[in-house]
Amino acid sequence: MKVIQDLLAQMPYAEVVRQDKTYLVTVPKEQLYAAASLLKNNEKLSFDYLNDIVGIDNGDSLGAVYILSASQFPSYIIRLKTLTDDREQPTMDSVIDLWLSADLYEREVHDFFGINFLHNPDMRRLFLRQDWKGYPLRKDYDANPELNPIPTENENLEAMEDLPTVDIDLNGKRREQHQKLFEKEEYVVNFGPQHPSTHGALHLRVSLDGEIIKKIDPNFGYIHRGIEKMCETYTYPQIPHLIDRMDYLSGTIHRHGYCLAVEKALQLEVSDRAHYIRTIIDELTRIASHLLGWGCMANDMGAITAFIYGMRDREKIMDIFEQTCGGRLMPNYSCIGGVMHDIHPEFQKKVKAFVPYMRKMLKEDHILFTGNPIARDRMDGVGYLSKEQAISLGATGPTGRASGWSNDVRKIEPYAAYRHADFKEMLRSDGLTFDRYVIRLDEIEESLKIIEQLIDNIPGGACCAKTKAIIKLPEGEFFQRVEGSHGEFDVFISSKGEKYPWRVKFRSPCMTLVNTLKHIAVGGKIADLIMLGGSLDYVVPCIDR
Amino acid sequence: MFHLEIITKWLDEFLRTYLLDGWALFIEFVLIGVAILAAYAVLALILIWLERKVCAFFQCRLGPNRVGPFGLLQSVADMIKILLKELIKINKVDPFLFRTAMFLVIIASICTFGALPFDKGIQAVDFNIGVFYLLAVSSLGVVGILIAGWSSNNKYTLIGAMRSGAQLISYELSCGLALMTIVMLSGSLQLSEIVAQQSYAWNIFRGGIPAIIALIIYLIAGHAETNRGPFDLPEAESELTAGYHTEYSGIQFGFFYLAEYLNMFIIAAIASTLFLGGWMPFHIPGWAGFNAVMDLIPPVIWFFGKTFACIFLALWVRWTMPRLRIDQLLNLEWKILMPLSLINIILMALWIIYV
Amino acid sequence: MEYIKNIIIGLWRLMQGMYITLLNLIRKKVTEQYPENRGKVFPHDRMRGELLMPHNDANEHRCTACGICQMNCPNGTIEVISKKIIDEATGKEKRVLDKYLYNIGSCIFCALCTESCPSNAIEWSNHFEHSVYDRSKLINQLNKEGSSLMKKEK
Repeated sequence: MKVIQDLLAQMPYAEVVRQDKTYLVTVPKEQLYAAASLLKNNEKLSFDYLNDIVGIDNGDSLGAVYILSASQFPSYIIRLKTLTDDREQPTMDSVIDLWLSADLYEREVHDFFGINFLHNPDMRRLFLRQDWKGYPLRKDYDANPELNPIPTENENLEAMEDLPTVDIDLNGKRREQHQKLFEKEEYVVNFGPQHPSTHGALHLRVSLDGEIIKKIDPNFGYIHRGIEKMCETYTYPQIPHLIDRMDYLSGTIHRHGYCLAVEKALQLEVSDRAHYIRTIIDELTRIASHLLGWGCMANDMGAITAFIYGMRDREKIMDIFEQTCGGRLMPNYSCIGGVMHDIHPEFQKKVKAFVPYMRKMLKEDHILFTGNPIARDRMDGVGYLSKEQAISLGATGPTGRASGWSNDVRKIEPYAAYRHADFKEMLRSDGLTFDRYVIRLDEIEESLKIIEQLIDNIPGGACCAKTKAIIKLPEGEFFQRVEGSHGEFDVFISSKGEKYPWRVKFRSPCMTLVNTLKHIAVGGKIADLIMLGGSLDYVVPCIDR
Repeated sequence: MFHLEIITKWLDEFLRTYLLDGWALFIEFVLIGVAILAAYAVLALILIWLERKVCAFFQCRLGPNRVGPFGLLQSVADMIKILLKELIKINKVDPFLFRTAMFLVIIASICTFGALPFDKGIQAVDFNIGVFYLLAVSSLGVVGILIAGWSSNNKYTLIGAMRSGAQLISYELSCGLALMTIVMLSGSLQLSEIVAQQSYAWNIFRGGIPAIIALIIYLIAGHAETNRGPFDLPEAESELTAGYHTEYSGIQFGFFYLAEYLNMFIIAAIASTLFLGGWMPFHIPGWAGFNAVMDLIPPVIWFFGKTFACIFLALWVRWTMPRLRIDQLLNLEWKILMPLSLINIILMALWIIYV
Repeated sequence: MEYIKNIIIGLWRLMQGMYITLLNLIRKKVTEQYPENRGKVFPHDRMRGELLMPHNDANEHRCTACGICQMNCPNGTIEVISKKIIDEATGKEKRVLDKYLYNIGSCIFCALCTESCPSNAIEWSNHFEHSVYDRSKLINQLNKEGSSLMKKEK
């Protein structure tokens, strides 16, 4: 695209490699901020959406890859890469003033690679304990359990409230400043890690003024399993089974994304049959996830009955999964090259019976909860998220679409069988809690339409392409996006041509949603905070990869 | 009509023939005390079972069905469990107030329970200011809740207690005003007198539209007073974990639990006494045959039937609606229920004068 | 007027919601009464419950002790212990299965073992009631005592 070419021409220091719609731009460390702000702040085409920041350890150098796209032309992606040779005290410029989502991403890179982002006011660790020794995703990390023994005491809350900032003064000397998160007399309440409605082990430290929320500080890592680290010792066919366990509600979709990434790298031809089956299963997963999201939100607002109704209808989908895939919550269905086994003979019949049932139940759900004046009154006018904010925060999925940001990957780059289905991307413009709520129910309706169109047209053929016994990816970096039920899920695989990946990074859609919560819940009441958590519908294992 | 009065009368005469008046009275007091406590506990068990069963049926589930037929003994088993549970000692609570709070809550609830007319002659105390007494005593419970929240030394409980204070005190108003309309209609504060007046037509029929409005307002406000259903902000399970009783364990928590269920019963019982004729059967003036059939059903059954109908309504509402937010809650009271009930009092006055 | 209208509409909407719950009150319940209907309701055929090694009547299995399943397992759930015996017919040394250990406690039911097995020696059963009182009982030996390799059908 010409605009992008022009833009990149303004960066003489950059090395540009183009692959289709992806530009790989390598800039020196000193010019990182200049390049980033050029991409963000130009008038013609602003790269206003930061998909992810991927930390990389190349053995000799540490680096970060900023994956950027523009909300106007989302099919183009720029991978801004920068490396530093300093392994002792690596520093990079922070881009926190350009993208709001950079806040947590930079902390994540800091946590795992030890890179300090200058001027980021909050350089705490994100997932690990503040007193953790070493940086786990570095290749020279010492995993000796004696260095980091299993803690027997609670994490020190004081350490959690201490915000270090690193910067370099005029003489080039490194300086560290500390700042307190909360004032001494603030009324700070811990929501979580054990709390009925944090959707998992999420820890929110909330500063209150009576019922009004003044400040929120999310704390992650209570169920962090180091999946990205484990992936580095797993072979390619083994990795998908971990992906199911990240976001357990849209695991099938995320797994599909990973398989697509590997297939793209291997240039493996996948049969249409597999594509159709995967798409139908994905949409069923999306319905199941949205039903649970709907029910959880209702439960957070105190309507437990609605939650049970959501679970009841979800059960029908789980039953279909069990019959065809062999698992319920973890269907383990997609694999590299297609799907594990062909669909069950009764699959089509069951899905066709499910569609009208779900339509009927959807109508009832609308009457029960959408029409309820208490619920409407609570959701209206609360938790406003503007389109600009949504893009800057990277709040993808239904949350972003409720704010009017057209971000459906199924439309941007139709993967699998989505190009054969006729469906609308649900968009709303108000960005209020009610929009986020109702867009999920609308998406269930759209998913039903997709399923209806595809279910009778599953083409014949093999359901899985033959792969080699040992899969080795060619050297390079591979990137794939899919539309998960909570937002955009990205897989980034860096390969050195071996049996094991060099680095795998998954973009967690839920992490940005928690960051969104931090911005939109301030000024609301406690009840609003809980409801907003429900309306954003995050899943904590997805954050704590 | 078969009144349980016969039994109490007989007991009274029986005791008085053998004992001095003072001793007879003393024994009667003890008996009444025991009977009230027993009825309180048994009703609580029934209500807990009922709530779980009804809730389950609303949610397409089966509910308790393992202990006893239809799970009838489930709440008995739960009671035994809760009695055997350890009372966890919490270090930083205010020990005296922490242990007093639940007694305040349950005493308020028992005192109200004692004044209910279950049948002619089955009423522990028949004050001539019965309605006033009910309102006064039932509002004592909020003190217990506030103390519980404050003494637990926990941020969740404190928020819960403060919410509960705001909620109960506001809803007390429209509750009282709704009852006042009926007091205007019957011209008496005495519960037995109010019930006796409804022998030909219940108050909602006698009082017409104002009485119906008053009943709706009373049911909403009363429901809010029980801290249940859409008004469970002080507990707000998904927000404040368990609100004011977060720190309580074992039977200490059990007391709060009992009081909550019995308050539901009390509100329903007051509604049926004041609006739906109490233990009076359903009569239609002029239909002698129909009335005679209705008279065959014992008044106690009438009373409990009406009360449980109100309780079912409360459960139905509870398991349908989402929780209100604190500002909605106060808006509902101060902007809708309160003005409506004030207007309703005027309406009732007009009704009494002209109809 | 608006005020009264809103109250009435609100009440009407609430009653609609209550109608839905009432509808569900009389609907068929969805609860599965598990221990009672045990044996009456089976999980679907493909449900991955537990790994099995099918044996035929002559106490023979198909496992050649190649160890591919062990290699593919992400969690180290499978341990194939082989032994060497002298084949009577040819007189050559041959590797056969001694013990096939399967630790259900760490299995994540990913089915990579059954997918990758070249001789279809293992398969999934529907059995899902895994609970035992002792952790050591979670480790199952899949090949039966004294079993041997099935002769290739020709």
